[in-house]
Amino acid sequence: MHPPKRIFILALAGILLLLIALDRAVARSAQNTVSRALMARTRVSTDAKAVALGNSVIGVGFNESSFDAAMGLGKQDGAINLGMGGSSAVEQLLMLRYALQQRARPRPSLVVFGFFDFQLTHPLEYATRDLIGNRAMLYYLEPEYARAFYHLSLHDRAEFEIMRHFEMFVDRGTVWERVELFRRALAQQGMPPEKANSMGRAVDFAMLEYPSAPEFIAECGRASRNPLIPSVREIALQAEAAGAKVYFVEMPMPPDHVRMFYDQPEWAAGYRAHLQQMLGDLGAKYIDASHWMPDQGAFADPLHLTYEGAQEFSRRLGEYLRNIAPPQ
Amino acid sequence: MTTFDWIKHAFDYVGGAQDEPPPGFPIQLGHWWFWAVWWGAMALAIYVFSGQSSKFIYIDF
Repeated sequence: MHPPKRIFILALAGILLLLIALDRAVARSAQNTVSRALMARTRVSTDAKAVALGNSVIGVGFNESSFDAAMGLGKQDGAINLGMGGSSAVEQLLMLRYALQQRARPRPSLVVFGFFDFQLTHPLEYATRDLIGNRAMLYYLEPEYARAFYHLSLHDRAEFEIMRHFEMFVDRGTVWERVELFRRALAQQGMPPEKANSMGRAVDFAMLEYPSAPEFIAECGRASRNPLIPSVREIALQAEAAGAKVYFVEMPMPPDHVRMFYDQPEWAAGYRAHLQQMLGDLGAKYIDASHWMPDQGAFADPLHLTYEGAQEFSRRLGEYLRNIAPPQ
Repeated sequence: MTTFDWIKHAFDYVGGAQDEPPPGFPIQLGHWWFWAVWWGAMALAIYVFSGQSSKFIYIDF
């Protein structure tokens, strides 16, 4: 073989070996991502009578031990919090299905789904670049089933099909998160400390809120004509089919959020009534807990409860549910 | 040759600006493993830093 050609082919083989090593290293480092850790917990919490689902508002807002104490549940059959930051109803549906598959009988008698704003009706359109962090589970947990619940362009569908076979693409977010944390640490050198919590920088969560009341009101009008997104419907239907009572909880929000958005009639009498109607048709119950925590001090950022706030909210939710749906 | 000159010469050689390596330079560019490591390192750098356009809000380890 001509020497340069030989060098090229051998170098290509060497690069391939390095990429395989990288793929294995990423797989190893991603063994304890939030979603995988929750799946592992689900496998051992087979007696849990209550399951909490949702994104970060439930992830940090639902305190298992406070809820269990108020509900009268023990340590063995207490609630399990499957809330995941930055997740959508599709990942939450997959997590519910995974939890249900781990047990034959008894199955959870109660499913609590916490949400805020327009999560239940906002159509899910993704690009593969969005499938990082906790959304990465879409690559590996029932990927074919989940694809029916969100939209990808033709290009992204092809990309998705290739990427899901390689750990270095599936869990690329675990590497990128470390780089991002390093960048943030560098950016903090010599600067006043930024307010952060277990989910990230507090200031970032303000970006998830609507910028103004008029825009929120306009969205209320549009969203009040939307049906529940299919993954939310499936959560309600599959949980009920498994014998659980399903409660959709409008999560507590800071007083500013409540005053600016949830006290608007377009939300209170319009969109909320629309949700209650649709969920009621599926047999699910609606709990409006948005005003339960009127103290700004109970919130760590524009969306999330503090640990103490989560304890208080979970205790109150447990007491409320104990009165209307005692554990069986 | 100072250390700085040696390093500059080494980079020039690796980058193709010089035909001869500096004295004592341990790598022969004709070796296949050099190019494997070189392009492997390039691919790794691209992989590690290609997430910077992502909008990271949640970093919940």
